[in-house]
Amino acid sequence: MISALFAILVFPGILFVSAFSLAAEFADRKIHARLQNRVGPPWFQPLADFIKLLGKAELIPTNARPLIFSITPVFALASAITAYLYVPLWTKDALFSFNGDVIVVLYLLTIPTMAFFIGGWYSTSLYAKIGSVRLMTQLFAYEVPLFIGILSGALLADTWSLYGIALFYHNNPMFRFFNIIGFAVSLIALMGKLEKVPFDIPEAETEIVAGVCTEYSGKFLALFRLALDVEMVVGASLLAAVYLPSGMSLGPIAGFAVYIVEIFFIVALISLLRTVFARLRIDQMVSFCWKYMAPLGIAQLLINLIVKAVLIK
Amino acid sequence: MAIKAVKKILTWARIKSPWIIHFNTGACNACDIEIIAALTPRYDLERFGVLLKGTPRHADVLVCSGPVTKEVEPRLKRIYEQMVEPKFVIAVGTCACTGGVFSGCYNIKGGIDTVIPVSAYIPGCPVSPKAIIDGTVKLLVSLEEKK
Ligand code: SF4
Repeated sequence: MISALFAILVFPGILFVSAFSLAAEFADRKIHARLQNRVGPPWFQPLADFIKLLGKAELIPTNARPLIFSITPVFALASAITAYLYVPLWTKDALFSFNGDVIVVLYLLTIPTMAFFIGGWYSTSLYAKIGSVRLMTQLFAYEVPLFIGILSGALLADTWSLYGIALFYHNNPMFRFFNIIGFAVSLIALMGKLEKVPFDIPEAETEIVAGVCTEYSGKFLALFRLALDVEMVVGASLLAAVYLPSGMSLGPIAGFAVYIVEIFFIVALISLLRTVFARLRIDQMVSFCWKYMAPLGIAQLLINLIVKAVLIK
Repeated sequence: MAIKAVKKILTWARIKSPWIIHFNTGACNACDIEIIAALTPRYDLERFGVLLKGTPRHADVLVCSGPVTKEVEPRLKRIYEQMVEPKFVIAVGTCACTGGVFSGCYNIKGGIDTVIPVSAYIPGCPVSPKAIIDGTVKLLVSLEEKK
């Protein structure tokens, strides 16, 4: 009972993952700033933003549905944090693991997007509605490559549990090299999920003010932002568990250090890509995902099937 | 005691994270260009936690440039009302402070403070980005003293 509460509230639950995701946001913003030749924000910036937003007055637009408007940010954050319980892997025994948790994590990661959509739609501002529709359109584009990318890694490992996948690649490190296409596809699809720059179409501030979050302010906005940050950490952990080497055999402390380094490596990749590219249009994004990313994902699936038939059997 | 500590943390967070929204109330455009210049990598306002936001709901500081024309007056009021407390207004440029060269025109109401309360005035025609940064920092420091 106590240990379950500890796991939910402190480690690896709410407290740890919030602090970690704020650190990840800082890394993202700092790297982005340095790549643009700027100094960038100080280390406490995401924390200060979060506290300031919590301290602002409450405001619900008259036209919005008060219940849905105020409850969706909580849903978004809760499901993102729940997803995190299954992904961190740095010891021989995972914290919580069962056969099929890859699928659960992927679906839990979809819930924040749905919450953004519903919250934006029910705030009844025109900009928020346009943002919501774009968010949904984008969801259909990146979700398939993301699923194919992650699951083809699982296919080679012949298990649906994240722990099993990590263990398989830990025991057979060479098989990782077959998964490079899958890693690239999942990373790009993850950027679509996180609304990072080439795919920040739903919140394009030069076109539709702030997209789904236009009417959100104060603590609701704080929760939405935190949910996005947690999503970034969960997504990065997922990619790290499936594609990157893990420090499983190094013991808990060194393994944890390896895990942290890997997460920051993926965050750095994301900020590099978002600095280099400019925003796409929604139709360009959809056709890019379906014309290039999905076929690449399927190619990865085929490669893994052949590898499995030839090398493992 | 606890309330005091919470208040202190809140003030700290407010000072460290002022998000701004820029609104042109009728400027000749030179002040706007200088505001944009202050936000470029050369001056890098993100050092102080300043972010430019598109919607008044997210912003803490309304940065106004130019005199208030009669046409823009109701809109300025509306944008001010859409912002969430606590909120501040900075008047950038001589026109925004007093009406400047435009004062007395048939279509001009006057400075920003004839319509909404203003927390900081930054004069200059046009103001230099350094002056904008200096004024913003002074506003933030005054918050700390007020508590
Ligand atoms: S202060 Fe000068 S530069 Fe600024 S809006 Fe007025 S006339 Fe233009």
